[in-house]
Amino acid sequence: MEVKLSVRRYDPESTNTVPHFQEYQLEMDEAATVLDALIQIREDVDGTLSLRCSCRSAICGSCAMRVNGEAGLACNTKVIDALPSDGTAIVIEPAGNLPVIKDLVVDFQPFWDQVKSIEPWLQPAGEEPEGEYLAPDEDMLHLAGVVSCILCGACVSDCTVLEVDSNFLGPAALAKAYRFVGDPRDDADGKRLKALNEEGGVWDCTRCMKCVEVCPKGVAPMDRIMSLREKVMDAGHTNTNGARHATAFVDSVRHSGWLDELKLPIKSFGIFNLKAMISLIPLAIRSQRAGKVPPLIHKNIPEVENVRRIFDKVENKK
Amino acid sequence: MKYAFYPGCVSRGACPELYTATLEVCNILGIELDEDSLRSASCTGAGVLQEKNLRLGDTLNARTFAMAEKAGLPLMTICSTCQGVMSQANQRLVSDPEYLASINEDLKEEGLEYKGTINPKHLLWIIVEDLGMDFFHSKVVRKLEGLKLAPFYGCYIVRPTEALGFDENPERETSLEAVIEAVGAEVVDFPGKTLCCGFPILTINPKNSVKMVANHTIDAKDRGADAMVTPCPLCHLNLDGYQPNASSAAKRDIDLPIIHLPQLVGLSLGIAPEKMRLNKHIVSTKKLLSELAVAP
Amino acid sequence: MYDHDVLIIGAGLAGMRAALAATEAGVNVAVVSKVHPVRSHSNAAQGGINAALTDRGDDWRDHAYDTIKGSDFLGDQDAIEIMCREAGDEVIAMEHMGAIFNRDEEGRLGTRNFGGQRQARTFFVADFTGQALLHVLYEQIVKAGALVYEEWFVLSLIERDGECGGVVMMDIRTGKIEVVRAKAVIMAAGGLGRVFEPSTNAMICTGDGMSLAYKAGASLMDMEMVQYHPTTLKGSGVLISEAARGEGAYLLNSENDRFMLKYAPEFKELASRDVVSRCEQTEINEGRGIDGCVLLDVRHLGEKYISERLSQIRELAMDFANVDMAKEPVPIMPGMHYQMGGVKANVDGETGVPGLYAAGEVACVSVHGGNRLGANSLLDTLVFGRRSGVHAAERAKNTSHLSIDDSAAKPDRENIERLLLNDKNESFGKIRFDMGTAMKEHFGVFRENSSMAEGISKLSLIKERAQSVYVADKTNTFNTNLLFTLELGFMIECAETIASSAFDRTESRGAHTRTDMPDRDDENWLKHIVVSDKDGKPNISYQDVVITDWTPTVRQY
Repeated sequence: MEVKLSVRRYDPESTNTVPHFQEYQLEMDEAATVLDALIQIREDVDGTLSLRCSCRSAICGSCAMRVNGEAGLACNTKVIDALPSDGTAIVIEPAGNLPVIKDLVVDFQPFWDQVKSIEPWLQPAGEEPEGEYLAPDEDMLHLAGVVSCILCGACVSDCTVLEVDSNFLGPAALAKAYRFVGDPRDDADGKRLKALNEEGGVWDCTRCMKCVEVCPKGVAPMDRIMSLREKVMDAGHTNTNGARHATAFVDSVRHSGWLDELKLPIKSFGIFNLKAMISLIPLAIRSQRAGKVPPLIHKNIPEVENVRRIFDKVENKK
Repeated sequence: MKYAFYPGCVSRGACPELYTATLEVCNILGIELDEDSLRSASCTGAGVLQEKNLRLGDTLNARTFAMAEKAGLPLMTICSTCQGVMSQANQRLVSDPEYLASINEDLKEEGLEYKGTINPKHLLWIIVEDLGMDFFHSKVVRKLEGLKLAPFYGCYIVRPTEALGFDENPERETSLEAVIEAVGAEVVDFPGKTLCCGFPILTINPKNSVKMVANHTIDAKDRGADAMVTPCPLCHLNLDGYQPNASSAAKRDIDLPIIHLPQLVGLSLGIAPEKMRLNKHIVSTKKLLSELAVAP
Repeated sequence: MYDHDVLIIGAGLAGMRAALAATEAGVNVAVVSKVHPVRSHSNAAQGGINAALTDRGDDWRDHAYDTIKGSDFLGDQDAIEIMCREAGDEVIAMEHMGAIFNRDEEGRLGTRNFGGQRQARTFFVADFTGQALLHVLYEQIVKAGALVYEEWFVLSLIERDGECGGVVMMDIRTGKIEVVRAKAVIMAAGGLGRVFEPSTNAMICTGDGMSLAYKAGASLMDMEMVQYHPTTLKGSGVLISEAARGEGAYLLNSENDRFMLKYAPEFKELASRDVVSRCEQTEINEGRGIDGCVLLDVRHLGEKYISERLSQIRELAMDFANVDMAKEPVPIMPGMHYQMGGVKANVDGETGVPGLYAAGEVACVSVHGGNRLGANSLLDTLVFGRRSGVHAAERAKNTSHLSIDDSAAKPDRENIERLLLNDKNESFGKIRFDMGTAMKEHFGVFRENSSMAEGISKLSLIKERAQSVYVADKTNTFNTNLLFTLELGFMIECAETIASSAFDRTESRGAHTRTDMPDRDDENWLKHIVVSDKDGKPNISYQDVVITDWTPTVRQY
C-alpha cells in the first residue's frame, strides 16, 4: 500500500536550524510498522534521517516518538493504524518535553536525571539472608506491571505537567519510585515517601491520564502516582495542599454527599496559609461581581446518611 | 427520550449557568430529564476520592448506577470529569462480577443492587449518538456563522479510551467538533484540546495550573478562536475563572470567552443568552454575543 | 584522552555485572556503550535464567550434564562446571539486588521448565526476565556511581606489542573522537545477529565486539555454531520465548499433528533448540508446514494462566502477528537467534591478548559448544561477567598504562574521513540485506558443502561492494548513517569467520548440520575451530574439547 510520512527534521549543523517537515512517499506491506517505514526511508531514500531504534519488538524502549501527535513506540505502531483516513500523511515528530538533538533523536539526560533522583535501587534493611528474601508471589507479581516499564519516555513526552514545569519528577520516575515503595523487601519507604511529598513530587500530577493512554507497556504511571499519594498520606504526610485537598474533598463528600466548593480551597491551603488565602480573594471578588458563586449554604443531599454509612463500611475494610 | 439526570456538584455549585442552560436546551431537544431518581446520588469522587480509596469511589458510583437502574432510565451527565470517573468505575464493576457482588453487599441495606446495565452518557454523546446529527441539525434555528470556536474536551471524556468506549463509538473522538460544525461555527483545531486545563492542581500548584490556562487559551486565541467551548464545568472554572491570572502571568491580553457546551447549543436553538446566564462569566461574553447579534 | 583502570565495552548484563565486580574490587571503572544501558539487547531474553539450587533438590552436576549434552559435547566441561556451580549464588545475588522473580507458594523463587533439561530450574520474571535483570543491574550501576559513556561508539582497540591498552571511541552525539587508556579492557559488546536476515536480534547486534577483538589479535572460536531459535514469529521474525513450550505449548504441523512426539519422544517440544528447529524445518521442507511455518499452540493453558505467565509474548503475537494466542495457534518458524561462538576466552575472561577480556555473548568460553540451552545465556553473562570484572580489576592493580597518546586515533580519524568523502553509491542497507539473506541461505539450519562454497564467494563480492558504501549524512551530530557503515564492516568480518569455520567442520554437531555429512564424528571433531586474523584472511587452528567427567554419548531427546 502507498504510505505518506511527514517527518519533522532538524539538523543543528545546518544553516537552517528551524525544524521543518519533510514528506516521504513509500510502498509498504500491510503488516509494516511505522518503524519499518522509517528504516526504509533511512536505508533506501534518505540516509541523513536520524532516529534511535533497536529491538523492533517493544522491549528496548529506543524508538519512542510522536506519531500523529501522540507518543508511542514506532516499532509497535502499525502503519495501517496510523494512516489518517483523509489520505494525508502520517506525522512523525520527536518525543516531546525533551530537547531535540537531531531529527527524531532527543536528549534523554533530563529523563535519566529524574529517574536517578528517586534513588532507584532496592534498599533493604539489615543483613542479607543467605538465600532469597521470602515474599508472597502476589506481593511480587503486582510489581511486575511496573517492572515491565522499559523507560522509553513516551509518558514523559506527553506529560501535561512537564510541559509547564520541568521540575516535576514525571510519570516514569514516579512509577519507578512506586516500584520500590511497593516492594516488601525495600525498607526506605519513610525516606522515599517524604521526598515524594515535596514539590515536584506526587502532588503535582494533574491526573490527566495522558501517561496511562500513551504507555506502550501498560504500566499506568498515573495509577502508580495515585497509589503513592495514598501511601504518602498513610505515612502521615498530611501537611501539603495536595493531602489537605484530598482530605477536605473526601470529608465534604462524607459529610454532605457532594462537594463544598467554598470550603475546599480554604481547607486545601490550610487555614493558616494567609498568603494563599489572600491569593484567592481576587477570584472571589471577580466571581462575586459576575454573580458566579456557589451557594453560601452548602446543603446536604437527601438521605446523606446512606452515603455516610457506605463511608464507614468501606473505610473499615481498608 | 428520558434520562436520569446526574448534574454533578459543579453545575449545582460554582457553575449554575451550566445547569440552567442544560434544562433549557434539553427542553427544546426533547430530552426529558428525570431529576428525582438521582436526587440522593452522591458525588462521583472526581478521581480525588479514588486517590484515597478506590473501592469507596466504586461503591458510591455503583449506588448511583443502581438508582438509575431502579428507575429504568439511562443516565445522563453534563460533566467530562463525572463522565470519566463513572465510566472507569463502571468498567471495573462490570468486568469483574465477583467485585460487583461484593460492592453490592454494601448497597443492600439501602435496598439497592447494581446489575451492571447502566452506560453513563454525557449530553455531548447523547446529541451525537442518541439524537443523531440529522435531528440536531433540524432543530438549529440560528446558524452561528463566522464564529470561530476552539474545542476543549477535558481529560476524562477522552481518556482512557478503553473505558470510554471509543472503540465501539469512534465518533466520540470528534464529537465536540461535530457539534461546533452543526451549529454553523468554524472549528479552530489546536493540540491543547485534549490536554489538561490545570483545574485538578489549582490549589496544589497554582503556578502550573495557571500556566496551563495560559498555554491553552493563548494558543487557541492565536489560532484565531473567538471563544472556547467545553463539555466540562471544571475546565470552564479554570479556563474562565483563572484567565485573568493567566493573562497577568503571561503578560498579555487573552480575553477568550469559555462557553459551556449547552450554552453553545442553546444559542443555536435560539435561546436567549441571559436565560443561560451567559452574562455571568468571568471572561465577558458581551463582545462575542454582540458580534453574533444576540447581545444579552 | 581519558584514563581508566578498567574499561568495559558494552552495558548489557555481562558488561554491567563486570562493572559492578570491578567497582567492588576498588579500581576506577568506566563503561562505554553505543546505546544507553537499558537499551541493551539483554532485554530481549524472555524466558529465564538457569540455576540448580540444592535446597530445591537440584544438583549443579545435573545442570552441567544437561548443558554438556545440549552442547552436543562440544562445550568445555571445566568451564561448564564453573558456570553451573556458581549459578545459584548469581541468581540469589540478583534477587538481593532487587530482581522480583516469580515465586512459589512458600514465597521462595519459583521455577519453570525449559528445553533440554530434565528438571525445572529456570528462574524467571514473567516473560521478561532479561529486561528485569538488565534494569536491576542498571540500578546498581547508578547506585555505585560507575561512569558510563552513554552513546559512544568504539572504533578500535589499541594494541601495542600484543597487549591491549585502551580504545578509540567516538561520541555519537558530537562526532568527537577520543582515546581512552585502560589497564584492562573487557569486551562485553554482545552478539552478531544482524549478520543474518532475518534474526531475532536487535539492530544493535552487529558483531562489533567480535570484530574489534579479532582485529586486535584475539581469536574467535566455535563461530560455525549459530543458534536457530525454534519459535520466531512469521514475517517479522520476532522472538516468542521458549517459556511458551516450557509452560506446556504444543508444536503442530499442517496435519494438526504434534510432530515432536515422533522426533523426541521423551522431551517432545522441550528437546534442545537445535533439535526442535531442525524438526520444524524438516516438517516444513517435507510439505507439512503452513506458508513456511508450523504452529505454536498454547490454548489449552487457559487465558488466565497465559496472561499471568506469558503476557508479554501474548502481546507480541497480537502486535506483530495479529494473533491472540489464547484463542488461536500462532504461526512460527526457526529464526537466527544466538552466536554460541565468539572471542575465545578462559573462565576468567582472559583472551589471548593480555589486557583484553571478554564475557557474555561476544565471548566463547565455551560453555555452549554446539548448542546453547535456553536460559543459559543470562547465566553465562552474569557468571563470566563477574569473573572477568574481578580478574580485570586484579590485573589493573598490578600494571600501569601503556604509553599511548592521542595519535592512536589517527587511523580511525582517517578512515572516517575516507568514508565521508566516498562518492560511490552502494547503500549499506542493501549490502547488509544481501549479506544476511546469503548467510541464511547458505549457513542456516541446514548446510551443505557446495552451498557453503557458494555462500563464501557471495561474501567476497559483498565485501568488495562494502568498499563503495555512500554515507549521505556528512554531519557530526548523531550520524547514524556513518555508524551503520562502520557496523557493516564489523558484520562482514564476522560473516567471513562463520563461513570459513562452517566450511571447515566436516561433520554434523549441534547447530552445525550438514545434509551431506549428517553424522557426528567424535573421532575427528571433538575439537573447537579457532579463527584468527592473518593478513586480513581467517586463519584456522584447532583446540581440543575439555572433557572432565562426561564422555560423549549418542544424543537423544
